[in-house]
Amino acid sequence: MERKVITIYHGPQHPGITGNMSVELDLMGETITRARTHVGYLHRGFEKLIERRTIIQAFTIVCRICVPEPDPNEANFALAVERLAGIEVSERASYIRVMVLEMARLGAQLLWMAGQSGSVGLGTVGQWSIYDRDLILDLFEQLTGGRVYHMYIYPGGVRRELPDGFLERLSALLDYLQKRLDAYDRLFFDNASFQKRAIGVGVVRGEEVLRRGFSGQVLRGCGFARDLRRDNPYLLYDQLEFDIPTQSAGDVYARALVRRAEMRESIRILRQVIAQMPEEGAIMQKLPKHRKFTLPKEDTYVAVESARGEFGYYMAGDGSEMIRRMQVKGPSLIHAFSLLEPLLVGEELSNVALIMNSLGICPPEIER
Amino acid sequence: MKFELKNSLAPLSALSKIFEHPQTLCYPEVKSETVSGYRGFHINDLSTCIGCANCQDVCMNEAIDMIAIDKDKNPKNNSGCIPRIDYGRCCWCSLCTDVCPPDSLKLESECIWADDDANRFLYQPKDKPC
Amino acid sequence: MMSYLEEHYELIHKTPRLFALHVTREQLLDTLHQITTHTSFDTLSQLTCTDWIEEERFELGYMLTNALRSHNLMLKCSIARDKVTMPSLALLFAQAEVMERELHEMFGIGFEGNETLYDFALEGWCDIPPMRREFDTLAYVNAHYDFREGREDNLDVKEEIKKRKAAAKSAKETPSGA
Repeated sequence: MERKVITIYHGPQHPGITGNMSVELDLMGETITRARTHVGYLHRGFEKLIERRTIIQAFTIVCRICVPEPDPNEANFALAVERLAGIEVSERASYIRVMVLEMARLGAQLLWMAGQSGSVGLGTVGQWSIYDRDLILDLFEQLTGGRVYHMYIYPGGVRRELPDGFLERLSALLDYLQKRLDAYDRLFFDNASFQKRAIGVGVVRGEEVLRRGFSGQVLRGCGFARDLRRDNPYLLYDQLEFDIPTQSAGDVYARALVRRAEMRESIRILRQVIAQMPEEGAIMQKLPKHRKFTLPKEDTYVAVESARGEFGYYMAGDGSEMIRRMQVKGPSLIHAFSLLEPLLVGEELSNVALIMNSLGICPPEIER
Repeated sequence: MKFELKNSLAPLSALSKIFEHPQTLCYPEVKSETVSGYRGFHINDLSTCIGCANCQDVCMNEAIDMIAIDKDKNPKNNSGCIPRIDYGRCCWCSLCTDVCPPDSLKLESECIWADDDANRFLYQPKDKPC
Repeated sequence: MMSYLEEHYELIHKTPRLFALHVTREQLLDTLHQITTHTSFDTLSQLTCTDWIEEERFELGYMLTNALRSHNLMLKCSIARDKVTMPSLALLFAQAEVMERELHEMFGIGFEGNETLYDFALEGWCDIPPMRREFDTLAYVNAHYDFREGREDNLDVKEEIKKRKAAAKSAKETPSGA
């Protein structure tokens, strides 16, 4: 029988694609023989816009680089500006930043769970986890005034003082989420239908994964305990206790199990932050010449661990009020091209959404 | 890995939710609680606004116009101008309220405005004391 | 690891975990080869480009990370802004392919040996590469988009203050009833 190769576009309008991007697939029957990633549906030119804005104006743009988890971008931007300008941040502000980053990480993992479960047809899990994420967003709303884009971590500190009773409410939410995680185990992680779909699919393995620049759950899912919070610590992560969960199988299920354990680690970190945060202290170090604030002609590179991998910012100042160059590298740039394209070859069409969700591919950070 | 019967049956525990009260709100009969400090629409206390245009200068979206005031409400307003915001451009970053010298410009928790013409989204902040 | 770099190159210590060194375009491949074989900096994690238009050069930054992800080393390479191509690193690092593709589109830098330098985020773009400093975003926007009507009553606050002062002055000089 003659077998014909057909080409289809998976996305950008497709519920199984993670955001506004598309994968061009050559199919022989149900099997993928070639995959090519296409981006460009979401290019907003943030890096160019930043060149025309003063530093405090540029600060409001960076959170828009990643919708599910905007805070690592704010933290990166603030850390880079502070390093170039030599600004020290108070201990209390650093604790608040860690708290915001971990809350965002928890929220992003819950959002990932909705996508991953949706890709195998388990709709109920998504409804639950989106609800639980909304409870985190409620806290963000009280803290920062915004649900999704917080614009809170500011060069020099954070923008607002904690509202009254905030830490108690956070603590209560953590108790609730801890219980919910057990429910998610029953409903999703231990679910036989998810295991059947996820085990042995999308396997990333081998020594060369480190050389190829992968990060996040892709590395931890194949046995490498790499986490910038531990390896290249920023803020106060070197003073907090947490484990880096790993799995060895390297498949979709291994990455899901890593994320399951990471949610518990985030809760553990948040509990330490609540216990250790100093009650008094400045939250903001005033920028010198606030609106006419300048950066020296130097450059630096900062990176933080987001919920999906390494977020790196390169920043160069030129002595003026504008930033000469700010270049963002999200984990998806590498994952969506040099990892996804070969990984999809040989897989079935129905596994594309499963694999993309598991790699945490998010186009806004590819095109900025 | 061995697939156990337990793993097939455990998800059915979700069925117990059938007997629980829904978690969703029945909007618009029931509204979620408003949060103080939410970044919603602008309010401007005209009795303290000095018309300095700091908000216009800091706005990176060029969303703010300074327009002539009908009747002077603050003798210290040297320019006789007050801000008006283009909500087609505003990103609610609240930098304008951060740089306001008399703290007259603020954001309130009200945040719903529906219209069928996008060109009408020029918002005159409500004159409310903060 | 550091001793090899200290011995052979002029290393700039930016922070305890971030180093930089300058290389020329000709030295780049050789230096990368030496560093990846003799030290643990064997991962390319970012490829950056900064346009120093007043000095008529692009500064490329090859950000290397070690296997433990604990230190970063940046190789900086200045090239002329026009008609200069760089050797592609696609054979050395698979991830370099897409990074070079992006810089090719945004800055117009050619990479010899990279077969994938077609459209990345922009589609059918025939203007100058948009991240070059001479590309004026404001001029582009003014040429291609309309502004919302109804905002013409915007006033220049400095002018208004001057006007008001002048009016107050003239009101003083010509007292009412005179």
